[in-house]
Amino acid sequence: MVQFAFLDYFWTIAYLVLMIGCGVIFYKLGKRSESDFFLAGRGLPWWLPATSNYATHTATDTPMWFSGWVYAGGMRGMWYSLFAGWCAISAWVSTRIFRRSLAGTQAEWQTLRFSGLGAELMRGWMAGWQVALSMFIAGWVGIAMGNVCQYAFGWPLWLGLVLFSSLTCIYVIAAGFWGVIIADVQQGITMFLTIILVSVWGAMAAGGPSAIVAKLQAMDKSWMLNPFHFTGFASGDFPLLWLITMVAVPFLGGFGMATHFDWFVEAQRIQSAKTVKDAAYSIWWGTAAVITRNSLWALAVLAFFVVFPNISNQSDYQLAWFRVGFETFPVGLVGFFFAAILAIHISSIAGILNLGSMYATRDLYHHYINPKAPEKRVVLIGRIMTVVVLLGSFFFGLMIGVDVTKWLLFALWLMIAGTWLPNILQVIWWRFNVWGYLSAWIANLGVCWLVVWVLPAYGLIPRLPDYIQFWLLAALVAIIYIPVTFLTKPEDMDRLVKVYVQTRPIGFWGPVKREAERRGLLQAVHEIEIKAEKEA
Amino acid sequence: MAWIKRNWTPHEADEWTKEDWIAIIISPFSYILITMGMAMSLFLLPMGFLLLAIGIVITIIMFWVIDPKLSVISSAYEKKQKQYLENLEQIQRWEEKK
Repeated sequence: MVQFAFLDYFWTIAYLVLMIGCGVIFYKLGKRSESDFFLAGRGLPWWLPATSNYATHTATDTPMWFSGWVYAGGMRGMWYSLFAGWCAISAWVSTRIFRRSLAGTQAEWQTLRFSGLGAELMRGWMAGWQVALSMFIAGWVGIAMGNVCQYAFGWPLWLGLVLFSSLTCIYVIAAGFWGVIIADVQQGITMFLTIILVSVWGAMAAGGPSAIVAKLQAMDKSWMLNPFHFTGFASGDFPLLWLITMVAVPFLGGFGMATHFDWFVEAQRIQSAKTVKDAAYSIWWGTAAVITRNSLWALAVLAFFVVFPNISNQSDYQLAWFRVGFETFPVGLVGFFFAAILAIHISSIAGILNLGSMYATRDLYHHYINPKAPEKRVVLIGRIMTVVVLLGSFFFGLMIGVDVTKWLLFALWLMIAGTWLPNILQVIWWRFNVWGYLSAWIANLGVCWLVVWVLPAYGLIPRLPDYIQFWLLAALVAIIYIPVTFLTKPEDMDRLVKVYVQTRPIGFWGPVKREAERRGLLQAVHEIEIKAEKEA
Repeated sequence: MAWIKRNWTPHEADEWTKEDWIAIIISPFSYILITMGMAMSLFLLPMGFLLLAIGIVITIIMFWVIDPKLSVISSAYEKKQKQYLENLEQIQRWEEKK
């Protein structure tokens, strides 16, 4: 149990008031329009969405699963965290394409990229799925806070989940994405400085970097400092085949859209950026901050390892980073550390609540239920949906309980396996149609649960390593969507030409490009450019 | 480095060129080298400093290559964004079918 002194309480309460107040101050901007409530008016310079990307992706659960992987696998475990690497290619490819589409959400992109009934079904499916997923992720991040508060203060698990997510909801309801983005900047800076402080403090408590290296060598664990220490090509705990999966899947995924859960979060920030270049830089630099943060965490976790090397229970050692802060900081600074944890928590919950509300409001309510709703009404529905997503997160959070890392592996890797390639194909291949895409999503949802949970539970198939499961799921779902694609008609050429001229996708778009040229559309666009240049 | 194009017209910048592919190839290596290089550097391992230094250098090269092109794409697109959509609709006579 962590004991708080007066100064610790002061830091915590002052910081909570500051963060929530900061969001509420932007109430007037958030209520101006739907675009303000969900995209902060589409005019942000790159560093604002970049900081928000970093802050949102540094959640309460993040140091838990990162600690879990590095404590168990040393620096090799850091390869897991490179799932954020999809931004490396996305910044220069899919971010550019998506920003040019001007689609407010990934679901809206479906009705731009595809046409007819299939596109509407796909939009509805993706919107509903994203609302549910936002609840799941907010629950997953929220229950991580429940775990931290249980460890630190002995609170029941639900209390940390419900209390801090509810406080966050106040400023999201008030100011929408304006509140999220402004608070994220403040929170992002606070958490980055704290992460540096904890790592330095933890390393010093363990005797300094050289002493940690010497202790690992004495324990015959120096391999933990080598991120390239593999156990063979396809054998052992960390085979090379696993590394190839960890690297190839996220990086190549950057050619597509929605290849990873984080895409949906980034998509909102991409459209909030002022220009195409701002969007690209926000994605690249936001993720650069994320990977730098991971390196700092590795120092703290390995410092913890040399002090406590024999923890075998995952739910205990996944708290390594939190324990370094709580157990090595002096009185007064512990409260500051907890305030930083609140910053980590609140920034992620705020972003996810606003995101889930955006899909529920823009894609379900405004598109299907009440297309003629005035802006004021849409913003009101956005606020109500924020509360709905919050309540859903409580349900999922309590379902997940203490084993955060186990759920993360399933959610991050295996639930996206079957749609990974279709998400790339929708961007790079003109012939990939909505029926192929929709069938991939539906098939993936069933197959991933069967292969990962149901069939192994009944002993019908062995429990496979996660990287094998990934490729197996990808292949099984491909058996469904490839025939569906070829057995159904291509998308309407008018629609494809429109998408091509507007977004200029990369890849196999030859027939569409030729048709656009034949119609004189590419030339027409450049005439518009020249005219705009002259007018400017 | 004359084979790297640094002056673009909007028309040229709209095409996918070798400058894009250079950024696409360098970017993953940049992330990997910075992540692993920095982590190892924090333990004062010489290999870490080397990886980090290479990571920083290739990142600078990547931005040097892609920035001029991205600036032109961005500037041209944002100037015509509103008009672009309106004109495109007229040219194609395309309307959303609800």
